[in-house]
Amino acid sequence: MSRRPAVVVLAVALGALGAAYGASASVAAAATTRPAASAPGGPLGPSHDTKTSASVSLSGAGANSINPFFEKVFYEYHQKNSKTTITYSPAGSSVGISDIEQGTVDFGDSEIPMAAKDLAKTTRAILQVPVDLGGVAISYNLPGVPSGLKLDGPTLAGIFNGTIKNWDSAQIAKVSGDHKLPNLAIVAVHRADSSGPGWDLDDYLIKTAPVWAAKVGTKASKTWPLPKVGIGEQLNSGVATYISQTHGAVGFVEYGYALEAKFTNAALKNKAGAFVGPSLHSIGLAGSQASGLSAKKYSIIDEPGAATYPLANFSWTLLYKKNPDEAKAIAIGKLFDWVVTTGQQYSSSLGYAPLPTDVVALSTSTLAQLQTPQGGPLFSK
Amino acid sequence: MTALSGAASLDSLKETLRHRHDRRGGRAYVLARWAAAGLFVAVLLGLVVSIAIDSSQAIAHSGIGFLWSGTWNPAANQYGAGILVVGTVVTTGVAMVIVVPVGLGMAAFLSELAPRWLAGPLSMAIDLLAAVPSIVVGLWALLVLSPVFANHVEPFFKSIPVLEWLFHGPAYGPSILLASVVLAVMTLPTVVALSRTALSGVALADREAAMALGATHWQVIREVVFPGARSGIAASLTLAVGRALGESIAVAMVIGNNPSVPHSLVAPGATLGSAIVNQFAEASPGIGTSSVIALAAVLLVLTLAVNAGGQAMLRGMGPGRPARVRKTRVAQ
Repeated sequence: MSRRPAVVVLAVALGALGAAYGASASVAAAATTRPAASAPGGPLGPSHDTKTSASVSLSGAGANSINPFFEKVFYEYHQKNSKTTITYSPAGSSVGISDIEQGTVDFGDSEIPMAAKDLAKTTRAILQVPVDLGGVAISYNLPGVPSGLKLDGPTLAGIFNGTIKNWDSAQIAKVSGDHKLPNLAIVAVHRADSSGPGWDLDDYLIKTAPVWAAKVGTKASKTWPLPKVGIGEQLNSGVATYISQTHGAVGFVEYGYALEAKFTNAALKNKAGAFVGPSLHSIGLAGSQASGLSAKKYSIIDEPGAATYPLANFSWTLLYKKNPDEAKAIAIGKLFDWVVTTGQQYSSSLGYAPLPTDVVALSTSTLAQLQTPQGGPLFSK
Repeated sequence: MTALSGAASLDSLKETLRHRHDRRGGRAYVLARWAAAGLFVAVLLGLVVSIAIDSSQAIAHSGIGFLWSGTWNPAANQYGAGILVVGTVVTTGVAMVIVVPVGLGMAAFLSELAPRWLAGPLSMAIDLLAAVPSIVVGLWALLVLSPVFANHVEPFFKSIPVLEWLFHGPAYGPSILLASVVLAVMTLPTVVALSRTALSGVALADREAAMALGATHWQVIREVVFPGARSGIAASLTLAVGRALGESIAVAMVIGNNPSVPHSLVAPGATLGSAIVNQFAEASPGIGTSSVIALAAVLLVLTLAVNAGGQAMLRGMGPGRPARVRKTRVAQ
């Protein structure tokens, strides 16, 4: 009897030893059979993206807002390349960042790219690749009021800081030109967790409403700055659920979620002074207006142009520049090269605008910087 | 088996028992027992110590005022548990206002009044309710109860003149009231099941003695059965309060997550548990994470205090017998 636990322990220990030995042996074998081969991943580009030879499973975590798009493109990619399996956990942008910092995932995703000071602190170099272009809808549930209610920054700030309490208020009537809004209490709903859409709206209000900036400061925050006003709900789905079941509710959700829920959305006053509602076209314009986009200059809030929607953002995928597992590194490079090019065809039906050409160029040139474990280029030109 | 071989096997069994500590299996068992007990204590200590260490940064940042400061706003780097403690205590209190009469009433009905064909299935249904995961209760409350509360229940309470001051303000749906109802639904099965067992455990002789003195059925329940089952009932309530204090996911879904002073039961609020759920995954590293862990520490202390208080109360009550004899007017 007493011997059995000892045997089990011995077996486990032996197994662990064996596994360790096997792993080191295979690493050694890989190193000897492919001595510093230049660009083992071959060329990138649409005709090569789905030709991964090794079976790999990739795991990622991050933004909730991009989840409908990722679900679709990862599924389609797997259909074309059954050797690559991808799982994505939409736990939130900050989870994506902390997971990639701690090395628990193969890729992360964040609506707001990592700041330079955080990048400097990581042990492994990280590349940031824009992968989709989304917008944030200001959705409301007002019986009899169609999409396109006109709102500007100061009015929206009043709604979200609690100074405008009713839909028939004089200020809303003045800005919207709609004097027949119902006598209904406003319920402003925000994200209870921190979020990309929250950052976008906060940034827009800071830029357009002095009263908002005076209260919350000039630095936008992913955590909603005024949690004591209105209702807080978790994730886009929580906010969307609440809006759909409450008359008088108004809140911000990723446009893809608003589209799916068939919400009525406000038209926001943009930099040119025009009122524009969220659509693939107006969100796409926000993306193409962005000049000199980079992971450091990522905000595309309140961009110029008469037909530009002011609440838009790129979602950024975070990758290790040098992945110790070469097969995984190649699979990741090919996957995201496909996502930012061919995969963009799936964006429109889900409420995301296809990436503008110059942003695709930024993404592919960033992916071209991926390296082999030895430090050579992973992909040939 | 013959009597002889039976006696022989009994002897061999006695022999085995006598030597059980000499055998290696016996020693291993003793060792395993101590190891298991040690592991349990180590896990508990490790939990407490790591929470204390991880939350020290928050206390250093916010000072001891963290415990009662009323502002919880991570965006502005302001962290204080006070408002969340209030939210936690209020939701648990309101839940208990619902659970105590309903739960004890149900337990008394099942144990004393219900015919057997009804008591069996009903008890089983209540036990099943206890097995419903909290995320399911939360989802149901969010999708089904919340609109009903916003459009019917909360306006109804507001229309009652005396209660108006408890229920003033706009009806949003997600509110302290809805969160309390969710907590009540989740803790009710515990209270009913344990109290029913305690009530059934009161000796038949006690009931018969009271009846022989001419007590009515109601008097027997009130004067004999309930006092006799006091300690069991108190234990069930302690468990329920502990669970209600710590419940997080379901509460986060229906409370509205608004960390301001609850001025009304229909206003949205926030609890320690709901704040942890909402903030932890995305708390900024360093001070943000540490503050969330400090919330966990406060919650841990609160729960332990309730448990310790409950246990002390139980010990003070002594065994499950009527502790005092009251002059009862018996129907002539």
